[in-house]
Parts: sequence; structure tokens; C-alpha cells
Amino acid sequence: MKHEIADLLPFYLNGTLDAAERARVETELATCVACSAELREHELLAAALRARADAVAPPSAAGLERALARIDTPPPMVRAVAPPRAPWYAVPARYASAAVLVVGFGAVAAAAWRAREGPVGPQPQPAGVYSVAPTVMESTVKMLPQTKIKINTIKEPTPAAAAAPTTVERQQRLAKRAELEIVVTSVEPALHRTQEIARAADGAVTALTDARPATPGALPGADLTIVVPAQRLDETLDRLARLGTVRNRSVTAEDVADTIVDEEARLANLRHEERDLRALMDKGGKVDEILAVQQNLSDVRGQIEQSEAQHALDLHRVATSTIALSLIEERPNPPAAKPGPTARIDGAWNNGLSALADTLVTLVSALAFVLAYAPLPLAVAGLTYAIFRVVLRRLQAARQA
Amino acid sequence: MTDDDEDRRLLARIAERDRLAFETFFRALGPNIHRFVRELVRDDGLAEELTSDVMVEVWRGAGKYGGRSRVRTWVFGIAHHKAIDALRRRRATTVPLDDLLATPSHDEGPEDAALRDAERVRLDGALAALSAEHRAVLELTYLEGFSQAEVAAIASCPVATVKTRAFYAKQRLRDALAPAEEPR
Repeated sequence: MKHEIADLLPFYLNGTLDAAERARVETELATCVACSAELREHELLAAALRARADAVAPPSAAGLERALARIDTPPPMVRAVAPPRAPWYAVPARYASAAVLVVGFGAVAAAAWRAREGPVGPQPQPAGVYSVAPTVMESTVKMLPQTKIKINTIKEPTPAAAAAPTTVERQQRLAKRAELEIVVTSVEPALHRTQEIARAADGAVTALTDARPATPGALPGADLTIVVPAQRLDETLDRLARLGTVRNRSVTAEDVADTIVDEEARLANLRHEERDLRALMDKGGKVDEILAVQQNLSDVRGQIEQSEAQHALDLHRVATSTIALSLIEERPNPPAAKPGPTARIDGAWNNGLSALADTLVTLVSALAFVLAYAPLPLAVAGLTYAIFRVVLRRLQAARQA
Repeated sequence: MTDDDEDRRLLARIAERDRLAFETFFRALGPNIHRFVRELVRDDGLAEELTSDVMVEVWRGAGKYGGRSRVRTWVFGIAHHKAIDALRRRRATTVPLDDLLATPSHDEGPEDAALRDAERVRLDGALAALSAEHRAVLELTYLEGFSQAEVAAIASCPVATVKTRAFYAKQRLRDALAPAEEPR
């Protein structure tokens, strides 16, 4: 049997009913035997559950340790080491770029068509100067001699974007890396000088391998990695070049403009999403809804941190340049030591002997050569003599006759 | 409620990335959360893992706690969600009751143990026969002392459902309890 207040009894027992409900239960309990019996059962159950609960071991200390370890290493930062790249279709900037390309081509084609029909103002010269502004709401293509193509990537300026405007000239987003090989008279002072040059350019030597070979014949040298602010790369290279004779100098530049634009767009979108989710959270709702939003929010937060880390890394790559410098010690030809008189006589004697040996060898070689060819001239001589004898004999016979 | 004020203070400090506050919070609520999720998933290892998960979630979400409910309600809501989720993920696997009983892991006098074992085995069996949702309502009501509305919020179900579940669970457990009571 179940009375109206039966459902309230567990909460009457744990003291969480409001005054009105409690009064109702108490009134009922005072008169209804069945309800009192029911309450007794609840009390028994509560006692049994409590007794059982007391026997449950508390969580081991390892649980706390594990939790502490996990909060010490937030996953987003860990993942930031190798963030998965968003697929091309998930990056809004790419759609914008595609749209700009299509519109640009269309405009050029239209202009060309019009030019064929008759001259209409200056001919458009599409130049690749990209400028990204977070506040730009539409894609505009101005067909002027210096064409500027504005890409719409971000719907709304974020506070962070406003603080650090993302408008960039495409040319400036180069991650530069230089390689320099210099032959120096001595590595040691060149190393010190290199460190000075790096410091003077607000840079630093980040790696140094001093290759001083054990075998005396090999070249001693040092390999260094120097990081300097990008805008000071050229002057640093020039100053380093003066350390000795430059054997090789090269600068490679990777254009990371697209990557950075993508990252900025992605970040702006994520921040937007985060704000929306926060607004949703503040509205409240059921616990499972809040938890779902919370889960989303923490995912988005993770992605933001990951993107920020990658973005910072790429910006750093643009802001700084790396120089791989190889210092090679020049090996001067050993100066000819002035020999003493005995040594000179010795030398002369040796030279004489050697010259004599050379002459003898040459003569013997010539003889051997001649000997090798001897049968041929001997045969010719023999033949000539025989002919001569025959002719002579005939002449004598003719004279006698 | 002074307990809740204290919880809120700790949570505010956790939101500011105060590790010590987190430890204090863990020590204060950890055992309750652990007991609760253990009752739901009935697996010691998983319960420890879930407790850890819940607390890490508290650390991450401390700044997002809106303050509309008691801190405990909020944390138990996370715990309930995670435990039910974990159960769903390994629905096919059932943990033998023996696993729970074989590891009392609590210092208890031998005479107490002998006296209580029979009762506990019966109660355990009866509880195991209930669904996790019913066990959750029992735990939250009888052990954690939450109100109907709070239990409803934690289990994300209507208040009427909470009442029904509590009543039903008690009815099912009555048989397990009654004989145990008689010898006393």
C-alpha cells in the first residue's frame, strides 16, 4: 500500500523537506499506522546503507596523486607539441581565399574583355598583396594598378585581435633560415666574436658544436646555431661574413603567411564559439545540458590553447631567423724551414744522385726503346745492302762485257 | 549552509589555480564521490579512476561553476554523469559481486565482521539487482542527504522520478533487510 506522503518519507528522514511538506508528513504519521511502518523501513534501510558505507575503504592516495599529476600537465599544452592540422575544408580562410581568387579571375577576365572592345581606363594589374583585417566584413577587389585584395576571414574583431591587429603584408610572413660557412684563421677567437655579434643583434647562440678533431690532419671547426630577430638577419650575416672568408652563404625563406592567416581565422572562430558557449552556460538549465555545454566548452578551450600555441610558434618563426654557421679553420701551408749547410749539401748530393738516377733511367729506357725497334731498321738496312750488291754486280758485269 | 560556503571558497581558489585548495577539496569530497561512483559502477579500479576524473573536471571547470546550486550538487552531478557514462560504455561487462565482497580492505573487528557479513551480503545482493539509477538515488538520499530537487538535478531527471525511484528501491530492498533484522 502506498500513501500520498510515502514518497516524501526518505526526504523527511534526511531532513530536506520544506516546512509545509514536513508538516504534512508529520500530520499523516501521527494518524496513519501504515505510514509509520513505512518510515520504520526507511530508517532500517538508511541504517543498513550507512553501516555498509562505513565499511567502504576511502579512495587510495594514488587517486589524489593521479589527479594532481593530471592537473599539473594540462592536455592542451601537451597536444600543442604536434597539433593535428585542421582539414582544408574546416578552415574558413580557405573559402575566403577561394572566393577571392574566383572573383579576382572574373574581374580580370571582364577587364580583358572590355579592353578588347575598347580602351577603358588603366589596365588592371593584379598584384599579390594580401591584407587581412578582422573588421572587414566583405571581400573587396579594387582593380587599380596596385591591387589590394582584402580577404574576409573574421566576422567580428575579438579583443585580442583588436589589441594586436592582424593586418599584414604578405611579404612579411617569411620564416627565414640562413646558412653560412666561413673559413677563419682561428676558430677560438671567431667563436667569441660570433657570440658578441649575436648578442649585439639581440640574438643568441642556441647551439654550439665545437668539432676539434682528434686526427691532426683534419680541419678543426665549429658549428653554431644563432637565433636573431628577423629584421636583423642581414646585418648579422654581413658582420659574421667579416670573420673570415665566406665559402658559402645562403638564405632560405618559407612563406608561412597562409598558415598564419588560417590560424588567426581559426582562433577568432574558436573564441567566438567559446563566448557563445559561455553565454549558453550562464543561461543555466538541466545538469546534463550544462555538463554537455561544459564538455563542449572544455573541448573548445583545448583547441584554442592548442591553436594559440601553434600560432605563437609560427609568429616566433617569422619574428626570428635562424643562422646555421659553420666555422672552418684555415690550414696555412707549413712555412718552408730554412735547412742548415749539412742538410743543404746532403740535399744537393741527394738531388745530384736523384738526377743521375733519373738520367740513367732515361738512357736505359731510350736504349730499350731503340732495341725494341732494332729489327725493323736492321731489316731495311740488310735489304738496301742486298739491292745495292745486286745492282753493283750487274754494273760491273756490264762494264766487263 | 556553512559547508557550502567553505566549498565555494575552495572552489574559488581552485578557479585561481590554487593546488593546495584542490588537494583540500579532494580530501574533503573525494571519499564521498568515490563511495558514490563505486556504488554505481561497482568496480574499485574504475571508481578510483572516475573519482580522479571528476576532480580533474572540477579543476578545469571551477571557473565555470555558476553558483546556482550547492557545490556538492554540482560535483555529484559531474560524478553521476561520468559514472552512468562509464557504465554505458561497458554495459556488457558485469562485475561479479564477489569482487566487491572479497576486498573489504577496511579495518574491522572480527566479531563485527562475522555479525555483519551475512546482512551485508544480502544487502549487496539486493543492491546489485537494482539499476545504477536506483542505487544513485539511494546513495544521494540516505548517505549524502540531498533534497528531492537536488537529487533530481544530479541525476538529471524530474523530481517525481526521484520519488518513484526512492520508493521502488526501498520496496526492493525491504525483503533483503527484514530477515536480517529479526535476530537482533
